[in-house]
Amino acid sequence: MVNLPRVPKLPFPYSTPTVPDTVEALPAPRRLGAHYQTDWARRYPARLARVVFLEAVLRPAVAVLGAPERDGIDRLEGLTDGPVIFAPNHHSHLDTPTMLTSIPEPWRYKIFVGAAADYFFRTHLSAAASALALGAIPIERSKVSRRSADEAAALINQGWSMLIFPEGGRSPDGWGQPFRAGAAYLANRCSVPVVPVHLEGTAKILRKGQRRPTPTHVRVTYGTPLRTEDGESTTRFAERIERSVAELADEATTNWWQSRQRAALGTTPSLSGPDAPAWRRAWALGDRSRKRRRQTRSWPKL
Amino acid sequence: MPRPGFVLDVDRSTPPILFHHGETLRLERLPAGRSRVLYPGEPLEALDDPDAAIRLALDNPLGDSAPLRALLTPGMKLTICFDDISLPLPPMRRPDVRQRVIEAVLDLAAAAGVDDVHLIAALALHRRMTEAELRHAVGDRVYDAFAPDGLLYNHDAEDPDNLLFIGETKHGEEVEINKRAAESDLIVYVNINLVSMDGGWKSTATGLSSYKSLRHHHNVATMLKSRSFMDRHKSELHSSNWRMGEVLKNSGIKVFQIETTLNNDTFGTSGPMSVLQKREWEWTARDRASFVGMKAGLDRLPVKARRKIFNSWQAPYGITSVQAGEVEAVHEVTTANVFKQQLVEIQGQTDILTMGLPYICPYNVHSIMNPILVMCLGLGYFFNMYRGNPLVREGGVLIMSHPTPWEFHPVHHPSYIDFFEQVLADTTNPLEIEAKYEKQYAEDEWYRHLYRTSHAYHGVHPFYMWYWGSHALSHLGKVIIVGGEARSVRRLGFTPASTLNDALEMAADVVGRDGTITHLHNPPIVMADVV
Amino acid sequence: MKALVFSRQPAKFAAAMVAGRLRPGGGARVGPLSLRDIEPPALPGPGWLRVRPRLAGICGSDLATIDGTSSRWFEPIVSFPFTPGHEVVGDLDDGTRVAVVPVLSCVTRGFSPACPACAAGRINHCERIAFGDVEPGLQSGFCESTGGGWSTVMVAHESQLVRLPPDLTDEAAVLVEPAACAVHAASRVDNDNIALIGSGTLGLLTIAALRAARPQAVIIATAKYPHQRELATTLGATTVVDPGELDRAVRARSGTMRLDNGQLGGGIATVVDCVGSASSIAQALRITAPGGTIHAVGMPGVTTVDLTPLWQREIALQGAYAYERADFDGAIELVATLDLGRLVSATYPLHRYEQAIAHAAHAGSRGAVKIAFDLRSERERDTI
Repeated sequence: MVNLPRVPKLPFPYSTPTVPDTVEALPAPRRLGAHYQTDWARRYPARLARVVFLEAVLRPAVAVLGAPERDGIDRLEGLTDGPVIFAPNHHSHLDTPTMLTSIPEPWRYKIFVGAAADYFFRTHLSAAASALALGAIPIERSKVSRRSADEAAALINQGWSMLIFPEGGRSPDGWGQPFRAGAAYLANRCSVPVVPVHLEGTAKILRKGQRRPTPTHVRVTYGTPLRTEDGESTTRFAERIERSVAELADEATTNWWQSRQRAALGTTPSLSGPDAPAWRRAWALGDRSRKRRRQTRSWPKL
Repeated sequence: MPRPGFVLDVDRSTPPILFHHGETLRLERLPAGRSRVLYPGEPLEALDDPDAAIRLALDNPLGDSAPLRALLTPGMKLTICFDDISLPLPPMRRPDVRQRVIEAVLDLAAAAGVDDVHLIAALALHRRMTEAELRHAVGDRVYDAFAPDGLLYNHDAEDPDNLLFIGETKHGEEVEINKRAAESDLIVYVNINLVSMDGGWKSTATGLSSYKSLRHHHNVATMLKSRSFMDRHKSELHSSNWRMGEVLKNSGIKVFQIETTLNNDTFGTSGPMSVLQKREWEWTARDRASFVGMKAGLDRLPVKARRKIFNSWQAPYGITSVQAGEVEAVHEVTTANVFKQQLVEIQGQTDILTMGLPYICPYNVHSIMNPILVMCLGLGYFFNMYRGNPLVREGGVLIMSHPTPWEFHPVHHPSYIDFFEQVLADTTNPLEIEAKYEKQYAEDEWYRHLYRTSHAYHGVHPFYMWYWGSHALSHLGKVIIVGGEARSVRRLGFTPASTLNDALEMAADVVGRDGTITHLHNPPIVMADVV
Repeated sequence: MKALVFSRQPAKFAAAMVAGRLRPGGGARVGPLSLRDIEPPALPGPGWLRVRPRLAGICGSDLATIDGTSSRWFEPIVSFPFTPGHEVVGDLDDGTRVAVVPVLSCVTRGFSPACPACAAGRINHCERIAFGDVEPGLQSGFCESTGGGWSTVMVAHESQLVRLPPDLTDEAAVLVEPAACAVHAASRVDNDNIALIGSGTLGLLTIAALRAARPQAVIIATAKYPHQRELATTLGATTVVDPGELDRAVRARSGTMRLDNGQLGGGIATVVDCVGSASSIAQALRITAPGGTIHAVGMPGVTTVDLTPLWQREIALQGAYAYERADFDGAIELVATLDLGRLVSATYPLHRYEQAIAHAAHAGSRGAVKIAFDLRSERERDTI
């Protein structure tokens, strides 16, 4: 047994001071979570690193896992180059890479992701990694946080597009969750359009709770950009976004015409599935798969 | 919400405590179980709009006084007097509160059609302020408007043509003040009440007076009866000034007093110096790094460079209150506001009082802190930072930390050198010094000449420094200076020690092994309310 | 008999000059001073007696001689080889204890009538110190014929002998000669405002003499070392300051103005320089009031000094050499009443002369005042 020399503990002020027993320590400085500063991740060195990472790591990984196909890009043609909010449904950790690689130019390289402050920004390492690799900013999902909203709004006003999952978290069972008003609020506040997006298949690759990914096919459907209508409340707008995504889901599982018909009738199936016990919801999930066109290659670069 | 000051009982988890040490810093571990640390309160919230607060105060005077607006009439003689370079410490960032107040007063005076305005730096026997210092205090606008015509100047306590004998108090104290001020229809006094000693009648009765008048309260007997001179109601220094104020008032001199208070934001809440006003266990990695860097740098720099760095520091003080009106009513409110920031309650006296003396005291702004000023800051100002009983018991030990170099500013402190070399070589007993030497120094032609024409403190000023500590000298059993230059410490009549532990060992000879220790964590300023 | 002898040896003298400049007192080791066995000096004539020294002091002028720094002025008024030592207390053959007045005036040299100065009692002004019965020599201790105190036997004329009171210790008695210098210097001061430079033996004794002569005087003295400071205070200085502080002390005392370069507008009426170096004379000139007087009590030697203030302020530069016979009476009283024997810090036997001289040359920094040779225990002393 080798006795390693003991490293002497450095004295104060070279080490952290202990707190006198009679004194209440200051609450730890809040520099993580929603207070994490991500400005550095939008300076050019970090942006360049992100592009390299996106193209060299994420894109091949997504291609292997999902061989994704992409619909509805043509619907974005009416948009100017200004900032846009992308609002997809959320099933999997793969959603963000899929979206980031899928979103067309000019938005692809000037986008930030609203990520859960309590999940991605819990430690310095994961916070820095999320900010650098995904361009994430912390968003509080448990409560309405003025700080998060201000930061996001400021970035949008600076010309940055945003990717936000309005459900606020990955689906626990494969069905969707109600959309929260964040995306709608920001779109309203900054007067930018919201692009509803539907992601199909990522849940099969890497569901919540799943450890090892199973490669399958992924389909990304972009919907018609939505804007706030006069006098429309944020909640109503959020519902409209949700409905829009549901229609895209319908379109992805059936076809466009059927989905339009059902939309007109108001019978588009809800994203959140039947209001029933868990086994029936899981059962019903099986119905949604359809025979897909087989397509092996990924989408071309636009 | 700023946290109030408090008393920390030092235990084994307490990190080493910050001691100021002249132009550098020390960290000292105080013995657990018998030491306490008196921490100042955090800076109070500053006024959001000080200018509005000033205007409000001028229009809503306290006590028996009309609003300033009503006191200003066309054709009147108005004299605005203001505190000198000794306040605040360190100098505050521009705009200085004096500038804000003076500009507000002048706005009203202009509106009222007052033409005859003089501005006088009420510096008593302090050194004359330089142009740069005056500009800093009153602002460039005021300076450029008045100074070129000789309407903004330093008070001259040795100008026989510009002093007026007002009368005597019932105690036979002669009252003599600046003639221009005395003959004005209104004196507006603009004060900064950094500590509770400042302000009140002391502003005019001391700031504008002459040696003849000053000596009645700047003497050993008065200082021995001022316990402390920071507590106006138990201070003979103030009683004497108040009696003189009475004489001024009765002679028809009208004073409109404007007093302001500042918060404790001496070193800023962010930036390189901010670590100095944080509690040690709350030092973040960044604070610790900046402390280590600062100390390493300071310890390696030549003393001149260190002085330059510290002398260039301007405090981001916030203004916490403005009071205006009749002197005594104003001063009551002002002192209450000062206490709100500085007063911290502490239970009982201590055997050993420790303090780290910073690089600055009221008399070495842009200058050198010489050994006499070290004595004055420690035994005069810091020792007297109490209300009720002195923080240290009678016969206790005072341990101060300061390099105490045998060094004097040749321009600012000429009489200090002589005082140190000759008077202190003879005796350190204040009464003996007063009887034997004061007159000679006070009447020395050369000192008088330097005071009037150069930027020198008056010849008698070092005596006052010594008197300021006379209460402490008679109260204490021993004074030890840690890290001080041995020969100058001995000249002061104190004991040099190289480390705090040595000093505590020496103190044990006086107060025993288990003597309790209290550390005055000052600056930022804290005043002990000893109950 | 054993004696320290200073002979004319140019090479050694040159070596002493170098060594003395490198290190005060260094001349003793390499210079022309050596311990020898020589014949006792013969009695030069009637009236001369043998004196067997008990204690003999080492004076500043002795050190200057040993280090080769003294002036060439002395060349014709000393005679080689000589035995140094002019601060002497000794025994006559009949056992009477005496102090020696070393000045070799007309009477000792056999001149009758004496020169006008000697006739008037001012033996220190004697015009014939190089003539007559004995070899040239301004004092015993610089003259070949008489020998000196740093030996076991010397000769002295009866007019040179001062009988000592029995209760006076040898240590006090050896200080009678320098004290006589001090008494003499003090007698020439005619003012109560005095600054005194230097607190060596002569400085301290002069402070004592000035205090005795002028109880009301203000005496500002300089002292380099703590023991000097303490002694200066006890011997009567009003204020004692470091040498660098004297200008300011004089200014503060006189309340005069100070000019930009530090020189004073006025000054102090009397300055007593007990050092005699270029810097002490320059300092004296800086602090003397217009019309004032500088008393050069310490032996100056060759110095370079700016005399402009002397001219512009009409300052008198006044020498103070030795004493008259009467000054010894005052000196005995002074050393007796003030117990000045305590100023003798150390004594050495003759064979340790190198250490003795080194000690004397660094007396101040080594906490000493006066160093002397103790001849009482020399073995041959009683056999001659």
